[in-house]
Amino acid sequence: MTRRKLIVALAGAGTCYAFPPSASGAFAAHLDGDYLRITAPHLNFLSGKPLERLKDGQSVAFIGQLTIAPSLNSVVVQARSVARFAFSYDIWEERFSVTKIGERPEARHSASHLSATQAENWCLDNLAIDRSAIPSEKPFYVQLDLRAEDPRDQIGIIGDPGINITRLIELFSRPARGAQPRWLFNSGPYRLADLKKTEVRGTRG
Amino acid sequence: MAFSRSRFRHALALPILLSALVPRLPGGQSLQRAAAETNVNQQYVIESVSISGAQLDDSENANLPGALRERLNSLVGARCDMNALNEVADQLRRELHLRAVSQRLMRGSQPGRIRVNFEIERRPASFDIAVPKFLYHSEQKFSGEVDAIVRAAHNSLTLGVTSNGDDLTERFTGVAVRYENSRLGTDRVRFGLEFDDFHEQWRPSTVATAQEAGGVDLYHARRNFAPEFTFVLAKPLTVSVGASFEQMESRIPGQPDESANAITAGLRYNREFEDAAFQQQFGASYSLRAGTRALGSDYPYSRHMFTVRYEFRSGKQLAREEFLGGMIAGYAPMFERFVLGSSETLRGWDRYVIDPLGGTRVVHNSIAYGYQIREGTAEVFYDAGSLWEPTRQAKLRHSVGVAYRQGIFVLTMAFPVVEGRIAPVFMAGMNY
Repeated sequence: MTRRKLIVALAGAGTCYAFPPSASGAFAAHLDGDYLRITAPHLNFLSGKPLERLKDGQSVAFIGQLTIAPSLNSVVVQARSVARFAFSYDIWEERFSVTKIGERPEARHSASHLSATQAENWCLDNLAIDRSAIPSEKPFYVQLDLRAEDPRDQIGIIGDPGINITRLIELFSRPARGAQPRWLFNSGPYRLADLKKTEVRGTRG
Repeated sequence: MAFSRSRFRHALALPILLSALVPRLPGGQSLQRAAAETNVNQQYVIESVSISGAQLDDSENANLPGALRERLNSLVGARCDMNALNEVADQLRRELHLRAVSQRLMRGSQPGRIRVNFEIERRPASFDIAVPKFLYHSEQKFSGEVDAIVRAAHNSLTLGVTSNGDDLTERFTGVAVRYENSRLGTDRVRFGLEFDDFHEQWRPSTVATAQEAGGVDLYHARRNFAPEFTFVLAKPLTVSVGASFEQMESRIPGQPDESANAITAGLRYNREFEDAAFQQQFGASYSLRAGTRALGSDYPYSRHMFTVRYEFRSGKQLAREEFLGGMIAGYAPMFERFVLGSSETLRGWDRYVIDPLGGTRVVHNSIAYGYQIREGTAEVFYDAGSLWEPTRQAKLRHSVGVAYRQGIFVLTMAFPVVEGRIAPVFMAGMNY
């Protein structure tokens, strides 16, 4: 086993240990026109607590980040795509709705009447990296970091009147709850020229 | 566990970190808020609201604070605003001292309608420090109460320290310990037990008048032990029965202690009506305290008091009408006598000018008109009342004033209507 393969294997094992919901070989990157996108057929992040909250009619927010790096666990990031998604579940139609929340209200776009898998795929499709930002000659790794927000940690601590010290003390005195649902995967190495190309579906990033 | 210095530093650092880490959207909008705005269920109309499966009218929710009940009721019939639901859940958690509250949406009776249930998670026990009353009166000076409250399941134990120069002819200062069980076997029965230990201060005018009148014992301390059962007959109507064993120490050395042991009873009715255009609140109460020698009382008497309160709100305007009437038959101790010229009655009047000993007959009426200005309400009021004895002719007195209320905080400027002079009285505080 070469040194590089050993590092990859250890990093992969570490990732799986730290973030149990992940599955090895969870995603693959491909080129879609001018964008690098990923597909993750076995990634079911609409599950567990977030899914329970959705089925109770609540909103669940996810933050997704796709990064390009020259090596595994590199602190150097060559390209990045960050997006925020708001999921909800129509309790009458029993279908999911997802909105990508932009910097401005008019930059939002949504999809509705989706199954869980369709909603997850829509989310991943909207995490795309412009191919011009990816090194064309050198190998690179792709990392997906997806996490659900826990609303209980935010409500009431920072509000219009300022900082609520009582809430803050409560937060410290509360027993630590389980880690936020988080999925972290690495895939690679890739070369731009070797990436599988698919039909152009759009230019949205 | 001590809140160490390093922990304190962390506590201060955390909000800064949170504010930096929580994804922010333009206008300070958090991701959670933006997520709530895009919830697909916002298209539906809320058919009903419940708390842990119990409807708001159920006896389980009989103790909900009025403003909170009002807010929960206002959700019914409206579109499902997820941010509003989040705010109500937060208000529930805060006001009911709960560990956590989350909302659950369920299908309603027909398509397009949904039911909202707030799932609550109680704390195994909680501790609170509260200031239920604080008042500065430019004539009577400070009155206030500080309570330490321990709650566990349906039980609460309150230790209160009070100094009150507002409610009686005397200023009483001391401690009050209260135990309350809000669910004695059933949600319809509550039990309370109170012990008070107060020391009294009397105004010179009261002492002088008492000496002139003769036969009035101005005690220097009193202790009270009062058990009480309350029965919820229907959601707006409660009946309470109990007893009060009050022992008073005379100001005159060598005089034996006296007892004012009484049977107590009360009837209370509160109802709120709401429409798209207006809100109305109606409340009425009757209380009876009957001192009897059968309980070893040195004071045989009966004290009756009626109150009626009606409030009407429409848009930014409100009108309020409050009536109080009372009568004492027999020979009652000083703390039972009625007073006018407090922070709630004949505001602006000096109670010791009206009668330094208080009275055994009282009638009082107050009307107020208010207009919402920003977060608060500016009010004008007119008080009229009379305090008298059967042997004396009743004299009607009046006062007018202005007040500004914001939440529990109140500022009042009151003017007693006295011929030939204007002597305003200023009051500030909360929950008075």
